[in-house]
Amino acid sequence: MSNPLTLLLDTLLPGDAARWPAAGAQGLAPRMQDQARDLPGGNAALRAVLDHLPDDFAARDQMAREAVLRGIETALPHAFDTVVTAAYNAYYTDPAIRDVVAARTGFANHPPQPQGFELPPFDAARLAQVRARPPLWRPER
Amino acid sequence: MTETADIAIVGAGAAGLAFAFAVAEPGLKVVVLEAGGFVDQRQAPSLSADWELALQGAFNANPNIRKAPADYPVDDSQSAIRPAIFSAVGGSTIRWGAHFPRMRPSDFRRRSLDNVAADWPLSYGDLEPWYDLNDRMMGVSGLAGDPANPPRTERPCPPLPMCPATERLAAGFDRLGWHWWPSDAAILSRARDDRAGCNNCGPCGVGCPRHARASADIAYLDAARAKGVQLRANAVVTGLSFSSGGHAVTGLRYVDRHGSQQLSCGAVVLAGNALGNARLLGGALDHPRFGRGLMLHPTAIVTGIFDDALQSWRGPFAASIVSQEFCETDPARGFTGGFQLQALRGQGPLTTALGGYGLRLPWGEAHAAAFEDRFGRTLSLTVTCDDLPEEANRIALHDTDRDRHGLHVPRMIYRTGENSQRMLDFGIDRAREALHAAGARRIDVNPLTRNAGFHLMGTARMSADATQGVTDPYGRVYGIDCLSIVDASVFVTAAAVNPTPTLQAIALRAGDAMRKGRAQDKIPA
Repeated sequence: MSNPLTLLLDTLLPGDAARWPAAGAQGLAPRMQDQARDLPGGNAALRAVLDHLPDDFAARDQMAREAVLRGIETALPHAFDTVVTAAYNAYYTDPAIRDVVAARTGFANHPPQPQGFELPPFDAARLAQVRARPPLWRPER
Repeated sequence: MTETADIAIVGAGAAGLAFAFAVAEPGLKVVVLEAGGFVDQRQAPSLSADWELALQGAFNANPNIRKAPADYPVDDSQSAIRPAIFSAVGGSTIRWGAHFPRMRPSDFRRRSLDNVAADWPLSYGDLEPWYDLNDRMMGVSGLAGDPANPPRTERPCPPLPMCPATERLAAGFDRLGWHWWPSDAAILSRARDDRAGCNNCGPCGVGCPRHARASADIAYLDAARAKGVQLRANAVVTGLSFSSGGHAVTGLRYVDRHGSQQLSCGAVVLAGNALGNARLLGGALDHPRFGRGLMLHPTAIVTGIFDDALQSWRGPFAASIVSQEFCETDPARGFTGGFQLQALRGQGPLTTALGGYGLRLPWGEAHAAAFEDRFGRTLSLTVTCDDLPEEANRIALHDTDRDRHGLHVPRMIYRTGENSQRMLDFGIDRAREALHAAGARRIDVNPLTRNAGFHLMGTARMSADATQGVTDPYGRVYGIDCLSIVDASVFVTAAAVNPTPTLQAIALRAGDAMRKGRAQDKIPA
């Protein structure tokens, strides 16, 4: 049976069956704990949210688990927000998830540098319509 | 024994390093003191796959969250907009997007033209040669011939490229018959000296390992040092020394890794932003206008979501195209002044999930679809408003709270004024219109960006009249000899554009005047 943190992650980021992995099933619980630790008040926030999970959380289906979390979100908005940030941080910096991002969106799964991206040079002919306008600025009197 | 210098400059950011470069000459001891350390941009986070995490930590724009050793706390509990400043050699240009527009002639004449605020004691023409010099030093890409601005010299580099998203937007502007132009950017579009050309990676705000994106350290530090300027990093200025009677500054105190130090100097120049100035001068400078009239750039961000996979993460995030269709006053709009629409490209995967410029994407079952709906398919427009100076908006000092150096914690007290709010509302509608014309399927609106306190202007405004301004047109503080302010605090109006080119032009002009004045024992009138 999954531990509460894994279940929490799977509820926050359940993915979808066909394409996106669920965060907990992806094994991101330790990474999320690390991320929570790096956020101001993150450890306490995670503890507070986990403490609010009911004993039968694991036995509920996704919709019922989301309902539980919405209640916690209302009761502990700041802590919950921090936990969601930690979960997203863990998910979207995971190399396997970045592979999915790349496959689904065309995003190049490499750091922005040193490769960067190629774009065609600016084409000044694009400005023909604007250039035809009279001055739009007011001179000093 | 107390060390002596001719000129001490507090702050090694955009203004401080430009001023240092301009004032330096052989035989003159110029010392720049910077609370922060060096940031090695050659090792910037954008070289790492998890670069987006840096935006939440070491590169977070908010000093109250970042809490780096050089940061001081800012009480923003009475401000609609939070501070966004950076302490390092290079200052906030380490953290910026390098969008580099100039003010326009009318921005210096708002009293004469619109009967609001005050006229500056200098003109666009006075600053133009300094704008030009600064463009060359920083390395600006752009295109001359913009009908929304006075004629200007050829830009040092050609414009940065468009991307599919900005192409859409430009076509939308054309459909509406509105102005647009490639923005001037302090980003090299082609290599120069030891700086590479931009390769469109996107996240300029975490530093540029190619040094394509300028920051004040990259652009000015070597040149200033070559003229003899000394830089002391990790040196926190903790107070100024005054002559008996308090009518002249005679030096300053600072703390570095060796302990407490004193520097006796002929002139002290403050270039550390309105918050930093208040920390050092609060209580010492009793000019009724000091600290008052704080202007920010209230900013809405309107995001268009497109059906197509535009891959809008490609290209410098903040430097692409602008519309200055609405920059000048038109009384029929119901407000005075104007606003700029500045394109912002899409963001990385994590930042997109966390909301980018708007609300965080939903968690739960709806998350994956929401992410696919947005990532790489968005383009945003800022509505950057020309704020008016209102006396109630100000920088003050906390009565009791002090930082670790014993300095009073500065308080940012700011609410969006009526004129700015009307402008925001009008501008949001225009941004919607533009994004719809560009083909956006859906529009999201962030009506006021809370984390937009990056342009702190007007709390030591300049004037030719000592009763109306804190400094003279060269930044010299009235009533206290040997003290100058050269950052955006001296602005008289805010304009609808980013302030860095203007504050650097002011700093260059003031530095040049101080150098010539010392040589001739007078400063030009």
